[in-house]
Amino acid sequence: MRPFIKALAAEMIKQHKNYFHSKMIYVSLFVWPFLNFITTYYSFKVFDIGKSKIAYITAENMVVYLLLGYMCMSFFRSLVQSAWNFSFERISGTLELIYLSPVNRAAVLLGNAVSSLFESVFVMLIFSLLVIVMKVEVLIIKILPCITVFFIVTAMAVAWGMFLNSLFLFSRDSDFLFTILEEPMEIFSGVKVPTALFPLWAKAISIIFPLTYAIEAVRRVVLTGSSLYEIREFAVIGIGITVVLFALISVIIKRVESHMRITGNITLF
Amino acid sequence: MIIAEHLKKTYIVKQGKGLFREKQEIQAVRDISLQIEKGKIVGLLGINGAGKTTTIKMLTTLLSPTEGSYFLDDIDGVKYPVEIKKRINMIAGGERMIYWRLTAYENLWYYGQIYNVSNNVLKERIDTLLKLVGLENKKDVPVETFSKGMKQRLQIARGLINDPQYLFLDEPTIGLDAVVSKELRSHIKHLAKEQNKGILITSHYMGEIEELCDYIYIMNDGVLIKKGTVKELTTETFNRKNYVLRLDKHSKEITECICDKLKVVDATVEVKDENDAIYINSRENISMELSRACMEAGLYIREMYEKEPHLEDAIIRLSREVHHEAVY
Repeated sequence: MRPFIKALAAEMIKQHKNYFHSKMIYVSLFVWPFLNFITTYYSFKVFDIGKSKIAYITAENMVVYLLLGYMCMSFFRSLVQSAWNFSFERISGTLELIYLSPVNRAAVLLGNAVSSLFESVFVMLIFSLLVIVMKVEVLIIKILPCITVFFIVTAMAVAWGMFLNSLFLFSRDSDFLFTILEEPMEIFSGVKVPTALFPLWAKAISIIFPLTYAIEAVRRVVLTGSSLYEIREFAVIGIGITVVLFALISVIIKRVESHMRITGNITLF
Repeated sequence: MIIAEHLKKTYIVKQGKGLFREKQEIQAVRDISLQIEKGKIVGLLGINGAGKTTTIKMLTTLLSPTEGSYFLDDIDGVKYPVEIKKRINMIAGGERMIYWRLTAYENLWYYGQIYNVSNNVLKERIDTLLKLVGLENKKDVPVETFSKGMKQRLQIARGLINDPQYLFLDEPTIGLDAVVSKELRSHIKHLAKEQNKGILITSHYMGEIEELCDYIYIMNDGVLIKKGTVKELTTETFNRKNYVLRLDKHSKEITECICDKLKVVDATVEVKDENDAIYINSRENISMELSRACMEAGLYIREMYEKEPHLEDAIIRLSREVHHEAVY
């Protein structure tokens, strides 16, 4: 266990120093989701939100409703980007050296995912919390369900990040996953529009993204004061998704290394 | 000791363009057996595309051999690659394989962590290695500001961070200037002779191989074509002797006269007159006859020596022979 933790910590520190070398990167990580949020907020302002079919969305809590969506989106988006960063490791040849070492591969993937998760969402998280605190009158929060959902969402996000990281290791041509997963995840996970309003075909797509469940659970505990019992199905689905993703990660890590050792594709970039 | 026997590596590659590409087998290594002893430096030479890098990748467990066996100190490298990884490291030439935005110290610290070197040992080892490669004053400077030679020296330190028993060097001095290359060769010798590490090196610089290697394997087209010490390889390849002769007088007639006298001993002798010297190539040892011929002709010998063939000449000769066999 000790080597695992050492490798995990080393990977987090290395990623921090390698990618977050300038304070400006925090600004860029914040500005993009912030602009998206502002655009969406003012787009929604022209509609009569009071007549929404979704009971918990009101004109008063609209800003918090959207912010929660964007906050969750930042969590998951940062992990798609962290997976993309692995392509740079391939180019610089450092990925080959990681595979030359006896290090636990899962520790490296986890370190990369966790580092990216906390660093990328840091500014967005602070901003969102500030706005939410300013709109405290619209919040109906129960502490225990809120903490529970936070941990489940974080676990799901990390598992999702590791899963994508592992897929990116398969080949230098895995970059297409970035295109496939980035925008569709925002559209179909209910960041802006609740998935309950989606047509059936779009609902079917939304099911595959863990972010869908994360956003819905967060909104319910923050905006409707749902109890643990009321969010039990999200908790079960969230834990289930995390377990399945970790099982897949474990299989993929072994398959990736075996594939690399047969094809030698680790040196291709 | 590393013992690899009959290693083979076949890749399946997709040929052509479009959706339905044909799969084709490519034999990168067809058959190679080699041994690396601790404390010895072994050279792996070949013409481009001979299979050297694939061989190194198999020995470092980055590639699995299609066939053959590989043991490192009695550990089966094919079955237990993780055990091998703990005992080896690799250093490649060039500026890749280090994190440019990190400092020299941070790079070594990261690699030390992933090799699970204990923190107490690691700090001391990083300081020792940085001193060994002359970067102790640059340890907190980002690698991106380093010169090519400094990056390469950091690579050497990185390759030693886990104190490997065996080290694989893939063209470690490529692109370096003469002074830095000399320093690196000195480090490599030190690692083998003083620290008892087994080293396998590939290089296109034959002088480097001649200076460093105790034993050499030569590959061509995925197979081993020759092996031996530098002396064995050159004498086996060049079964004729070369002499250089400088006299007090120099003329075409003198050269012809010497040639006539030597032909009596060795009919195949070739005598060439170039600049101020006479070059003699013969099947036999004719140094005595050569001295006698000069004395009889009343010539004063200013300089006479037997020219040792270089490894580079042997490699060129071997590659020509292999090419000739392939064509005919």
